[in-house]
Amino acid sequence: MKEKAISIHSSRGGTGKTVIATNLAAIFASKGLNVALLDLDFRAPSLATVFSKGIKGPVRYWLNDFLNGRCTVEQALVDVSEEYHLGGRLLIGLANPAIDAIRNIIEKSRAWEVTAVKKLFSLLSSLFNDMNINCCIFDTSPGVQYTSINAVISSDISVVVTTLDSLDLKGVENMLVELYDAFAKKTVVLINKVFPETQIWSSERQEDLVSQMERVLKHPVIGVIPCYCGVLQAERASLLAVDKPFHPFLKKLEEVAEKLERSI
Amino acid sequence: MVTEPKSSTLNTKFLLMKLVDELKLVNQKLDSLIKLNGKILKIQEEMPRLVSNKSYSGTELKLEPDAMSLLSLPMSLRKTVMVLYKLEKATAEDLARETKRLRAVESASANQLVRMGYLSKKREGRDVYFYIESPMEIKK
Repeated sequence: MKEKAISIHSSRGGTGKTVIATNLAAIFASKGLNVALLDLDFRAPSLATVFSKGIKGPVRYWLNDFLNGRCTVEQALVDVSEEYHLGGRLLIGLANPAIDAIRNIIEKSRAWEVTAVKKLFSLLSSLFNDMNINCCIFDTSPGVQYTSINAVISSDISVVVTTLDSLDLKGVENMLVELYDAFAKKTVVLINKVFPETQIWSSERQEDLVSQMERVLKHPVIGVIPCYCGVLQAERASLLAVDKPFHPFLKKLEEVAEKLERSI
Repeated sequence: MVTEPKSSTLNTKFLLMKLVDELKLVNQKLDSLIKLNGKILKIQEEMPRLVSNKSYSGTELKLEPDAMSLLSLPMSLRKTVMVLYKLEKATAEDLARETKRLRAVESASANQLVRMGYLSKKREGRDVYFYIESPMEIKK
């Protein structure tokens, strides 16, 4: 896999972006790739909780500090490889969950946002050229917000996660045209949390759903993942790819990872 | 007595010609006023955006090419700015290499962005570099 940045985005919250981003990072790392996973959801940070087992001691620098010019790329990343034994390295960049830090990000000016995009590009350059990272995954905040758009602009491919809920789908449809096409970015759609009642689990029915969605959304659908109670009930501080590597959710996500590798 | 009507006709003709000239002048002034009014209306439309999005560099008005503002630009110009996010500063040739478009196209695109206030340019030796000015590099 050539060094690539992948952003995981959605039009609304609750589509499963973070579970997908964290486990996708773990899947790539278990294949021997060196992965950086960055929490760009500055309004609702979650990676600090998911990786709490792997973070030794207090976090000294956050991604907020990097974007504010207070630390280097290396200082803003936490190496959790040792805790998870995945094969490749796994570095994580955390968003500061303190209310003051969230408020600070919300109050940023347009000029700051311009600098933030430039910093994201320089971060990717350092990761790929100096730190031997093969893949960088951005976990973004939902909808059209500066940090998410900045992530989309600086990434090579975007995975838009949606459920089959009509509000989600309508939002994705708009975003694909008005955001992704506007920036001419390579984009794929991942349908998540499909209820068992939908009865699409025969491969024929899945193919029908994929082609129907591709017709409506006019973008490739990279996978369809069922809604698993085990995933919804899993503890927030749990990384399924490590704790339950044989879970069917992981199998589905591995297929997505393979398709992603091929498409980039 | 014979010349009087002749002189009166000449006078009338002279007055009419003067009137036509005056009308032409009024017409020209009206045209200028209409043009000026168009410009004022355009500035008034732009003003809310300019006010919320401006920073001054000397006497020039500079606009921030942030992600949201990019969405209001045509695709051809947006592409140039997106490359400059990555390259920091670039000649038209550097831009063309990234966008796979002609150098002349990139030069026109970048210069238009300079005129619009989104980019700045500077000469270094024989090369002209385009760049995004960061007036408040990490202030907040």
